[in-house]
Amino acid sequence: MTPRSSAHAFVGSSEAVIRVENVSRWFGNVVSVSDVSFEIKPGITGLLGPNGAGKTTLLRMITGLAAVSDGRVTVFGETVRNNSSLYSRIGVMSEHETVYQFMKGRDFVKMMGQLRGVKDIDNAVDKAINLVDLSDAAYRPMGTYSRGMRQRMRLAATLVHEPDILLLDEPLNGADPRQREHFKNLLLSYAASGKTVVLSSHILEEVEQLADTVLLIVNGKLAASGDFHAIRAALNDRPYHVRVISDSPRDLASALVKLKSVDAVNVDPDGAIVVQSRNVRDLQIELPRLAKALAVRVRRVEPLDDSLESVFGYLVDR
Amino acid sequence: MWFIYKLTLRQLSGRWRLLITLLLTALPVVMGVIRSLVEDGPPDAEFQTGVVGMLVGVIMPLVVLAIASAAFTNEIEDRTLANLTLTPIPRWKIIVPKLLGAISVAAPMIATSALIAGYFIYEGDVKAILSTTVGAVVGVVLYSTVFTWAGIMTTRAIGFGLLYVFLWEVMLSGIVPGVRFLSLNHYSVSVMRAIDERRFTGEDMLSSGVAVGASFGVLVIFLLLSIRRLRRMDVP
Repeated sequence: MTPRSSAHAFVGSSEAVIRVENVSRWFGNVVSVSDVSFEIKPGITGLLGPNGAGKTTLLRMITGLAAVSDGRVTVFGETVRNNSSLYSRIGVMSEHETVYQFMKGRDFVKMMGQLRGVKDIDNAVDKAINLVDLSDAAYRPMGTYSRGMRQRMRLAATLVHEPDILLLDEPLNGADPRQREHFKNLLLSYAASGKTVVLSSHILEEVEQLADTVLLIVNGKLAASGDFHAIRAALNDRPYHVRVISDSPRDLASALVKLKSVDAVNVDPDGAIVVQSRNVRDLQIELPRLAKALAVRVRRVEPLDDSLESVFGYLVDR
Repeated sequence: MWFIYKLTLRQLSGRWRLLITLLLTALPVVMGVIRSLVEDGPPDAEFQTGVVGMLVGVIMPLVVLAIASAAFTNEIEDRTLANLTLTPIPRWKIIVPKLLGAISVAAPMIATSALIAGYFIYEGDVKAILSTTVGAVVGVVLYSTVFTWAGIMTTRAIGFGLLYVFLWEVMLSGIVPGVRFLSLNHYSVSVMRAIDERRFTGEDMLSSGVAVGASFGVLVIFLLLSIRRLRRMDVP
């Protein structure tokens, strides 16, 4: 079996098409990615993590744009770094929105298709541009495009050779709600045809709507991986801390501690109440009712740990 | 390769870059024209050497530096280089059209300057004009190869190039005798002498065989270094 034919065996199968084995990457003394291993199968996989977690570095090593300091990355069973023939089967869209400002959108997609050896180039270009719904602007220089249009034309250039693997770094940046919807449907139908889509994002909801499988990267390490719903369930189960400022903290705290949705209540020296809850949804409903019943005026309610970093931190510490 | 060549031509033909390089290449022509207008009789050898020396020793390296270093530096700074490296084409097929693009933009300007300036300073001596032009074009090719490599090695290629031109080519090669064996400027002038021995004389000239061999060596070595660099670098 030739390498090419063995590589084709991966498409549409449940075999892993991308293997990352004990991969690390450091820049001087700074470790960006540390001993990460996983496999990616056809379908949509989300690379999720806060900004600076190492997602982009990891994605760049998977594409071969960056070298690994240690470990091994293979795509279709072949080492990806310095293996240019693989790029006829891989489409990569980086997070950077830079384009050739002077070039017309259609010319850009056509050039990318030609560089990847696409046959029947004009039809392929039209098809790719139609997919991203940008036919009307195809003959305009890309310097005149909005941020969202640039992203879509870059996606068309990434799709023009119909790659078996699509690697997208923060692809929904700059897209408006309509474009996001279009983009999501496009990726879902692409993955449904047996292809592999890997997208990185720091937005949980974005990945939730698209990915079957999630790789959670925190501080350069693989914090969790697997089915998205299991990870989401773990997230929902975590305790939240909510700070409540009122004109009668002791009365309100005494009543709050009796609620089923509340795990613990502390009153800070400055008079603010910190409520710990695993059921914030119920707490949101019960708190105003309680305050009204007690005739306590609530001035402010704020989540203390609702940032994505704290969510990821919880999963890592668990 | 054709697509990358066309892309490079367009990238290197920015209005300001062309304007500045055209002004620089116009200087020897202006000097030749002024000399012919204000003084009677044929230009002396000192004037001829001075103008050709300025064209080949200073103007040509600076023009090529401005053009060739940008062939990769711009793509690295704009983060568009990945568009080319993430394609199933071997690295040499990216380097060669980039280099040819840089030569194609720089060579016509330098050759035109050498032709017209040569016409005035050599009073229509075809052999002298031809030798100046061919030597200058050889210089463009050599400097383009080195500065294209510099552009892929560092985003500070302009600084590196200026240091190289003024320290190595202008200062050291004039002071230290052995440096001429490693001087692109000397290779270029030696090619001129190989075509027209009457005009280009001097004890420090390299033989035509050494000049051609060394030029070929520079071309091959820096092409290979550029390909190696593109294979090993982390593409932004």
